[in-house]
Amino acid sequence: MSDQRHKDDPLSQMLASLPREVPPERDLWQGIQAEITKTPIVTDAAPVVHFASTRWFQIAAGLLLVLATSFTTFVVTRQSMEKDAAMQMAQQQQQQQQQVPMAAPPLNAMPASFGPEALGADYMKARSDLNQRFQERVKTLPPSTRAKLERNLADLRHAADEISKTLSENPSDPLLQDLLMSTYQRELQLLADVSEMPLSNPVRTDL
Amino acid sequence: MKAPVSAAVQAVLSMAVLMTTQHAGAEQISKTQPADARGEVEIVNVAGSVEVSTWDRSEVQIDADLGSNVERLDFRKDGSRTYIKVVLPRMSSGGGAADLVVKIPRDSGLIVNTVSAEQIIKGVRGAQRLQAVSGGIETEFGPGDLELKTVSGSVIARGLDGKGLVRATTVSGDLEITKAGPELDLNTVTGDMNVTLDRLDRGRIKTTNGDLDLTTALGDDARLEAEAINGDLRFHLRGEIDAEFDIETFNGDIDNCFGPEPRRSREYGPGNELRFSQGKGGARVHIKTLNGTVMVCKR
Repeated sequence: MSDQRHKDDPLSQMLASLPREVPPERDLWQGIQAEITKTPIVTDAAPVVHFASTRWFQIAAGLLLVLATSFTTFVVTRQSMEKDAAMQMAQQQQQQQQQVPMAAPPLNAMPASFGPEALGADYMKARSDLNQRFQERVKTLPPSTRAKLERNLADLRHAADEISKTLSENPSDPLLQDLLMSTYQRELQLLADVSEMPLSNPVRTDL
Repeated sequence: MKAPVSAAVQAVLSMAVLMTTQHAGAEQISKTQPADARGEVEIVNVAGSVEVSTWDRSEVQIDADLGSNVERLDFRKDGSRTYIKVVLPRMSSGGGAADLVVKIPRDSGLIVNTVSAEQIIKGVRGAQRLQAVSGGIETEFGPGDLELKTVSGSVIARGLDGKGLVRATTVSGDLEITKAGPELDLNTVTGDMNVTLDRLDRGRIKTTNGDLDLTTALGDDARLEAEAINGDLRFHLRGEIDAEFDIETFNGDIDNCFGPEPRRSREYGPGNELRFSQGKGGARVHIKTLNGTVMVCKR
C-alpha cells in the first residue's frame, strides 16, 4: 500500500529516473597510479609506524604526561620550598648577626634533592622553631655537654646530607628514602628532647 | 719519734681545716615521711648525686648533703606522689651540688631529673623515668617499665626479672642493658649499645653512628626493626630461630652465620640485601643501614 503511493509520487518518479552511476568527467586513475609509483615502496623490514593510531603511542603519551606533570609539580614545589628555606636562612643569619654568635652547627637549608617537597613548609617551620629552642637551651648547659650535643647534631645533619646526596643519585631507592625520613625525624627528636631537658638552674617553685 | 707524730697531727688538722672550709655553709638533712606503697617519687637535683634504694616500708626517707650554693630542699607529699627537689637560688649560676640518698617503697614508681648528677638506683620495681644531661645512670628495674634519656651520660640498666618495656634515648652516651623485658625501644646518635635479653618480642632500635650488640632469643611472634646510618649492627641470636629476615644495606656489608649468602641489590652500584626465612619463620626481623655492617649469628 505504501510502496504504491511512493511510486505515484512525482518526486519518487524523478528520483527513479536518475542514472545509477555517474562517470567522471575525466579519468583520474591514471594520475593516481602515477603518484603511487613515485612513492617509495614500503617493505616489512622497515614498517611505517603510525604513531597516532597505535596503542603504545597512547600509553607513552600518557606516561609522558604523567611524568611532565610530576616533574612540573616537583620543580614548582622545590622552588617554593627552597625559597622558604632561603628565607629561613636569611632570617636566621640576620638573627645571628644581631645576637651573640653561636657555636652550634648551622641549620642548613633542607637539601633540595629530597625532602622539602615531601616534608613541606610546616616541617620547615617546626624544625626552625625547635632549633631556636634548642639553641637557647643549649646555652645553659655545661660547655663539654654543649660541645657533645652540637657535635652529635652536626653528625645527624651530616648523615642527612649524605643520604640526601646519595638519594639524588638514586632517587627511587626506597631504602634511602626511609633512612632519610628517619634521620630527619631523629633530628627533630633530638632538638625536642634537648629543649625539654631539665634546666641547670631549675625555676624555683613554692611547693 | 716525736717529730713524725707532730707532722701527722698537723696533717690531720690541716685536712680537717680544709674540709671544714670546703663545707662552709653546707647542710645535712635527714627526713622521713609516709608515702604510698605503690605511689610515685619524683626527685630533681642539678648536680652531685642521687642514690635510690628500696625497702618494705610505706615511707620515703632522705639523707641529703646540700652544698653551699643550695637554697633549700623541698620534701613533700601530694596525693600519691612524693616530691624531693633541690632548689637553687634564683640568681645561681647552676653550681649548687647536692648528694641525695633516698629510700622509697619497693613497688613505688620513680622519676629522677638531673643535669650533671650521677644516678644510682637499686631494687625499684615500679615504673622508672630517669633523665640526665651529662650525668651517668645506673639502675635496676622491672617489672615496671623503664624510660631513660641522657645526652652524654652513659646508662647501665639491669632488669630484675626480665619484664617491662625499656625505652632509652641517648645522644652520645653508651647504653648497657641486661635482662630487660621483651620490649625495647632504643635510640642513640653516637652512643654504642650493648643489650642482652632472655627473649625479645618487640624491638625498635635506631642509631646514627653508634654500634649495636644485641644478644637475645626471638619470641615466636617477635618483631624487630633496627636501623643505622654508619653504625654497625650485630645480632647474636640464641636458641631456635624461627624468623623471616629482611636485611638491606646501601653501602655496608652483611655477614650472616646461617641462611643464604647476601646478594647485591644493584647491578651497577653498591648495596647488599639478604631475605630469607629460617625455621617456621614466625618472627620478623627487618634491618637496614646506609654504611653500617650487619652481622647476624647464632649464639
